[in-house]
Amino acid sequence: MVRAILQSLHARMLALSIGATLVALVLAGWAITTVLERFVIGGLDQRLDAEVTLLASTVDANGQIDRTRLHQQLGAMEGKPGWRWQIDAPGSKLGSEDFPHLDAGPPLLPPPSLSGTEGLPFDHDDQLRPLEGASEEGFPVHARTMTLETRGGPVTLTALAPRSVVRRPIMGALAPLMAALAALAALLGGATLIQLRLGLRPIRRLREQVAAIRAGARESVDEDQATELKPLAVELNALSRENKAALAAARQSAANLAHALKTPVAALALELRDEPGRAAQLARIDATIRHHLARARADAADRRATTRLAPAIEDLVTAVRRLHSDRPLTIEADIPSDLAIAVDHQDLDELVGNLLDNAARFAASRVFVVARALDSDARRVVVEIGDDGPGIPAAERSQVTKPGVRLDERGDGHGFGLTIVTDLIALYGGTVRLEDRQGGGLAVCLTLPAAQSTSSAQDAVR
Amino acid sequence: MRILLVEDDRDLGPAIAHALRGENFAVDLVDNGIDAAHSGETEHYDAAVLDLGLPGLDGVSVLRAWRAAQRNLPVLILTARDGWSDKVAGFKAGADDYLVKPFRVEELVMRLRALIRRAAGHAQPLLDCGPLTFDTQTGQFELDGLPLRLTAFEWRILSQLILRKNAVIERLDLLERVYEGDADVDSNSLEVIVGRLRKKIGAQMIETIRGRGYRLTCRT
Repeated sequence: MVRAILQSLHARMLALSIGATLVALVLAGWAITTVLERFVIGGLDQRLDAEVTLLASTVDANGQIDRTRLHQQLGAMEGKPGWRWQIDAPGSKLGSEDFPHLDAGPPLLPPPSLSGTEGLPFDHDDQLRPLEGASEEGFPVHARTMTLETRGGPVTLTALAPRSVVRRPIMGALAPLMAALAALAALLGGATLIQLRLGLRPIRRLREQVAAIRAGARESVDEDQATELKPLAVELNALSRENKAALAAARQSAANLAHALKTPVAALALELRDEPGRAAQLARIDATIRHHLARARADAADRRATTRLAPAIEDLVTAVRRLHSDRPLTIEADIPSDLAIAVDHQDLDELVGNLLDNAARFAASRVFVVARALDSDARRVVVEIGDDGPGIPAAERSQVTKPGVRLDERGDGHGFGLTIVTDLIALYGGTVRLEDRQGGGLAVCLTLPAAQSTSSAQDAVR
Repeated sequence: MRILLVEDDRDLGPAIAHALRGENFAVDLVDNGIDAAHSGETEHYDAAVLDLGLPGLDGVSVLRAWRAAQRNLPVLILTARDGWSDKVAGFKAGADDYLVKPFRVEELVMRLRALIRRAAGHAQPLLDCGPLTFDTQTGQFELDGLPLRLTAFEWRILSQLILRKNAVIERLDLLERVYEGDADVDSNSLEVIVGRLRKKIGAQMIETIRGRGYRLTCRT
């Protein structure tokens, strides 16, 4: 799971971004609550300090409490539940009955010397300090306390309120705050997602282009890329070019090797013709050479080529006629003169040459070549090569078009050539179909891409 | 029958020549394009076996040179190039047949015999002349249905005569078709061989046309 996330750029960036957003939001939440709490406690402290000041006004310079004044002042103090007060003077202790025990607050500053000063120092705010504690019932309380130095001794004045007075507004503020933060988190997450989508789109586009190169639909990737991707695109194109050159070189050397081997193999075959066993082995070597030579040739398809069908097939018909001139054979070709296909001339020669040769070999006396543009699809040309021979049983036909299956086991060992035909057809995105010819014999139907000029010429006719 | 064999491979050339001689052909072996063009234009051959990849001048150019010089001897291209575009180029240059290496000698011989027969204007592989039969596919002669045993020279002369039966063949022409290029030709030896042939098939069949040459006369 974690590995999977780390391996996806998208997930990695999303996880990082969401993590950072969450941390930021938690920090913001914490900071806002702290500030809020301080603010609320500040307000509470002001109210408590006012009470302590009221209490202080009942204490005279000798530490005596003016009770009449105290009663007056108590009426002005908050009488809410849980609010308490206490005056701890030497000799007397007055205050709320259930005044709780309180922790000592942080250490007091040394009290300022009162000697020689008139009046009471209770208006000194810095003498007020906070105290935290708990009531008997266990509710936490917050208090403010002040100690007055009097001639009768220290008098401690304390006012307290329940902590819940603080917590309630904080809790009240926290719920909408959290909701707002959650909404913010969702918004940021969404923004990150969209950002990633948009931000990673050039990468996706580049990937599609690379895939198109592999599929043969493109020569190179667009080098007009995002700044960060541009060097990658340039490198990819260089890689693709090198790959292509290396492939072409490999094919060429395979072809050269095969060619170079043929003559010595021919010489050996002559020497070994009286030794059937070794001659058979040599025949296998020869078959392998032929196969790979044809493969090397077939792999180098040029899909942008334009070849006119009629003259090419006419030449092939002449060639096949002469190759089979030892027996009476009629080859009828019917090719519209304006038909052209997007197939390299040599590849067309291989395709039609092999099929014509097969047809001539198995024909009783007649071979037919017909070509026409497809009515349904002007971008396709159908070439049909038929003969009046025995044909191929329907059951064996699928076997025949399977790549790598040689089907000349019955023939004279020269190869049916259909393997190379199917390879080439696949390379040009065409189809090959074997059918019964009307009137007996086999018909091989090729569908090939029409050359651009042909289809546009047909459009013009329409 | 005399064949011009153009093959630059040092092993394959002599091997093919040897095999063809074993089938009674007279063979001139040439190993480069320039000599090939020259030989084809100046000498008389019944057929040529031509490689395409040649030093000096490539096979297709050699063939074009022959055709340009009105040499219409049948030409069989024997090459490692098995692409159909190569075949088309070969035929367009004027080849009559095309065989891809490696090949079976039997096939080469059969194709050569067929080429020579067709060049002489015979559509059928079996040639008759009175009691004499020549199977151009196997190269066998039969006399009254029985196999005729012939030496290579006898075979060369008789096959020439039967291919052009009932026609006069010039002495010089016959000499050229019987002896290889580098052989010491003794014109008297032709008389001797014809004499032996007459003994084998009957003296009346081969006529001497004084001052010109010989004729195989077919009477049934």
